[in-house]
Amino acid sequence: MIITYEDIIIKTLTRVLAPFLQLYALYVLAHGHYSPGGGFQGGVILGASIILMVIAFGLDTARKRLTEKADIVLLCIGLLIYSGVGALCLALGGNFLDYSQLTKILPVTVAKARSLGILFVETGVALGVMAVMVSLFYDISTGGLPPER
Amino acid sequence: MEVTVLIQATDEAFKIIEEARNRALDVLNTSVKFTAEAKLLEERKIQAIFKGAERTKSEVLSFLATFALLFFPFWMPLSGFFDVFHLSIGVGCCALVAYISHDLLFVNVRVGDMRTIVKRFFTYIPWLIYQIILSNIHVVKIVLSPKMPIDPKIIKFKTKLDSDISLVTFANSITLTPGTITIDIKDGEYYVHAIDEDVAYDLLYGGEMEDRVAHVFMEAEHVYVQDVLDVARIYGALR
Repeated sequence: MIITYEDIIIKTLTRVLAPFLQLYALYVLAHGHYSPGGGFQGGVILGASIILMVIAFGLDTARKRLTEKADIVLLCIGLLIYSGVGALCLALGGNFLDYSQLTKILPVTVAKARSLGILFVETGVALGVMAVMVSLFYDISTGGLPPER
Repeated sequence: MEVTVLIQATDEAFKIIEEARNRALDVLNTSVKFTAEAKLLEERKIQAIFKGAERTKSEVLSFLATFALLFFPFWMPLSGFFDVFHLSIGVGCCALVAYISHDLLFVNVRVGDMRTIVKRFFTYIPWLIYQIILSNIHVVKIVLSPKMPIDPKIIKFKTKLDSDISLVTFANSITLTPGTITIDIKDGEYYVHAIDEDVAYDLLYGGEMEDRVAHVFMEAEHVYVQDVLDVARIYGALR
């Protein structure tokens, strides 16, 4: 269980830092094909920003911002994006995650289609990783018990 | 006969003068009342600016401010790509983050004096760096002297700051200065670990750093000459 301790320094700095952390996570995700990073790393940073808020503001406040239900929904959406792009390529006549098939529905070149396909898949991975991290943290900090009320 | 006419005329003249006087008094009174009310209103405006009563109520404003702060000084240098694709991704990401956490960054911000605070904060940083260099030299002296004249102690002192951000700035300034570490802030009291007497006395009885932080964040009890000038400027802008 996490006990809330009123520390004004940590609270204020978390408040100032959290938006920048989240934006940095999205930067790492969006620029994964130019610089180090990608879906997993971006998702971990995004999850870390929420875990930081749990540590600073306490479990209840953080769960009001991102409820466990919404977390599971995000996890499912991430998985759906990943498998959806894969299945779309399969349906268009290629292999699973064969992005070159996306040129049939997108007006772009093959190289651009591969880049875009990877970006979509990475977005799904990032959402999934973030949701799993936060879900694991919630489960550990509540001892696996459902929220009260 | 002539005398009565004269008396009547004088009476009428007196009446007219009386009326005119009453009217003039009325006008004067109302004008005095108006100026008094206007003065009261202006005073209240200035008080509102000082007390921070004019806070960002509107979520849209804080959303826009967060978006601008995230996009221009953070995303653009970080990304380094200025083609349409990457800029649109940037706008989308910044809008998403600003939507999720618009209530985090700008809390209890006084609208009127944001610019002054930023300006003063950037003049505070060089002074802080100078202090850090000074106390670095002090700590190096302690470390290099063969006697090791350390006298570690935890001191507790009351603060006159009251807003969150100024408390945190002061605490982090103490921690950044070698020889002192802020342990905790509780109920307006700082608990600071100091390496020797000199540093501790500086914090307990010097208080220059605290004054400067109070000046940066325009805390109420620290009205300096600069503050008065700023009020005059804000007052002029309001008119």
